[in-house]
Amino acid sequence: MVRSIFMTVILIFGTLTVIKPDEPLAFSGQTIERGAFGDDVIELQARLQYLGFYKGKIDGIFGYGTYWALRNFQDKYALDIDGIAGTMTKNKLAGVSQFDKKWVHDQINKGARFTYYGGIPLAQQTSAGAGSSEATDIQLPAKYSERDLQLLANAVYGEARGEPYEGQVAVAAVILNRLESPDFPNTISGIIFQPGAFTAVADGQIWLTPNERAKQAVLDAMNGWDPSENALYYFNPKTATSKWIWSRQQIKQIGEHIFCY
Amino acid sequence: MKSAIYLLSIAVLALGLYSYEVRKQNTHLEQNIQAQYTNSLTNASEKLSLLQESVSQSLLFQDERALDNELDNIWRTSNEFRSTISDLPLSREVSNEWLRYVGNIGEEAKLAADNGDYESWHDRMPVVNQNLQALADEWAVATANFFQNDASLTEWASVADNEHEESPFKTVAANLKSYGETDFPLTASESDWIKKNELQNLNAKEITKEQAIDKLEVLIPGIKNATYTVTKSKDEAPYPFYHIQFVKGSRIGYADITQKGGYILSFLAERPVEEKTGVTQQEVRDQINQFLDRAGYKDLQLVEMRENHEVWHMAYARVFGEDKALVYPDGVQIKVSKDSGELLGLNAMEYIQKEDIKEDQKLVPIDWETFFRPGTFVEEEQIIYTENEAFQLRKCYQVIARFDNDLNETFRVVVDGENHDVIKVEYMQ
Repeated sequence: MVRSIFMTVILIFGTLTVIKPDEPLAFSGQTIERGAFGDDVIELQARLQYLGFYKGKIDGIFGYGTYWALRNFQDKYALDIDGIAGTMTKNKLAGVSQFDKKWVHDQINKGARFTYYGGIPLAQQTSAGAGSSEATDIQLPAKYSERDLQLLANAVYGEARGEPYEGQVAVAAVILNRLESPDFPNTISGIIFQPGAFTAVADGQIWLTPNERAKQAVLDAMNGWDPSENALYYFNPKTATSKWIWSRQQIKQIGEHIFCY
Repeated sequence: MKSAIYLLSIAVLALGLYSYEVRKQNTHLEQNIQAQYTNSLTNASEKLSLLQESVSQSLLFQDERALDNELDNIWRTSNEFRSTISDLPLSREVSNEWLRYVGNIGEEAKLAADNGDYESWHDRMPVVNQNLQALADEWAVATANFFQNDASLTEWASVADNEHEESPFKTVAANLKSYGETDFPLTASESDWIKKNELQNLNAKEITKEQAIDKLEVLIPGIKNATYTVTKSKDEAPYPFYHIQFVKGSRIGYADITQKGGYILSFLAERPVEEKTGVTQQEVRDQINQFLDRAGYKDLQLVEMRENHEVWHMAYARVFGEDKALVYPDGVQIKVSKDSGELLGLNAMEYIQKEDIKEDQKLVPIDWETFFRPGTFVEEEQIIYTENEAFQLRKCYQVIARFDNDLNETFRVVVDGENHDVIKVEYMQ
């Protein structure tokens, strides 16, 4: 009798250890919602694509395309339709779809164009792409493009790589302030390559490969930070030769640069 | 000895040949660049003549179609002229004044065509037409020598970039500045916008730099007892502020705080951040809501949240009035680390000087089914305040519209609540 009770307890405990109803069978423990980015989103997009709900790019960015696809999935499987992948939704997704993590991540790392529909051999769903792009894993405000980020990062690195982080954000902010000003061209490229506008263009340092810090500085400026306090110009007082630049209204100094209107 | 002389002669000859080749290449490059500059200069001169002719011709017509055609020409030509001028190595002053003056003409033409305000155009443009004619003549005189230049790019560029008395563009620059001020004085809404940006209207009590540091430490306890370097803004800065730089452990950063009232303009900290996520999206939201509440930003609503490798960037807008409209120009931006949820950045520059909102703006209902093509669904609707092209703060509808197709392409569309002008369309990723 004691032995059978003991066996029953062991069996129940074992079953509960193997099946944890509150834990999803895949994904990390995070709830995934719009704005998120990373491996969980890649899995979410791949599983939604496997089931035919998601037709967009598997890029790990939880944008509107993923959001509507997830809502449609929740609608079909009688889940709460909120566009948020919580435990219930993730469990259901994991239960009705498959996910080959290694294959999907390999395709992303190779920069391949690929889909991940169920019932189609994986080899038929991929084709060589243009190579991986580091910039694609950054989420930017809607009005900016990855090209803008790249150009700005080149300019910031070429102009201010020796400056404190604040000074690098300020240089990016000056370029973005010019975009709003009627005195300057109305594209980021036009502003950066305006003859004589930036020393880094004249001496070729703009073509150096920017580091991660310069990209982060640009990202902060694009998201609204402006340590220059609305400046349109900056100059190094030790090297500036233009009399005109000294006539501008000065705001503050960061590192070697004076920022002005 | 003979061999040495022989080898030396070969080396000198090789060096001479190499130097000749380099010089030839440089000359070739210089000639190419000069040709491009001269081409841009010619284009700019032609566009300027065309613009002046179009402005002149626009004064000829009362017929709306004929006038609209000229206004369209003026807007297009002004943009082309701006683009060409910005390709030339002119001094900063000359370039800026041209871009502003001609940009103003183009904007006026666009506004007149959009609003059908032809009378105002006809009232203002005769003077602009005369001034533009004078500027075109002065430009022709100033640039005449550039077409006779003897292929020396250095000389070409140095004359173009000359800031001094002997600059051929001296008269053009002076007249552009003077005509710009008289022909296109700042409108009330533009000067409002600039004032807001310059925060000159703050009337609060001045604080000391010690009080500024206290304020910062209360708001951001993570940097308490850091090492601070405080400098004041330059004397000419339009609004005085303390520039506080701090170092604490691996944290380095800054905060700008207004001297009047001690408002935080912006704060940014840099420290190594682990890519591993330590807090959930919901936890980040909750923590920041608590921070905003504690900091006195009690009327904000989250409008966007974007995750990147190391941080979350969050954008908030002020909520105003009975219809809980979002005031986008009164925004606050937040940066939070993903590993611990620590506040790494705050930008409240726009929030400090709140917009003066005219509440009596009408909100005329829109039938979205007829506004959008079939197959487009309006998923969300919100009332917002945002600036139109004339910098006027307008009460608008903001809708999230979705194409019913495989990709579920999504757009944020902002429509003026009263006249139903489309103010903005953004493709949402």
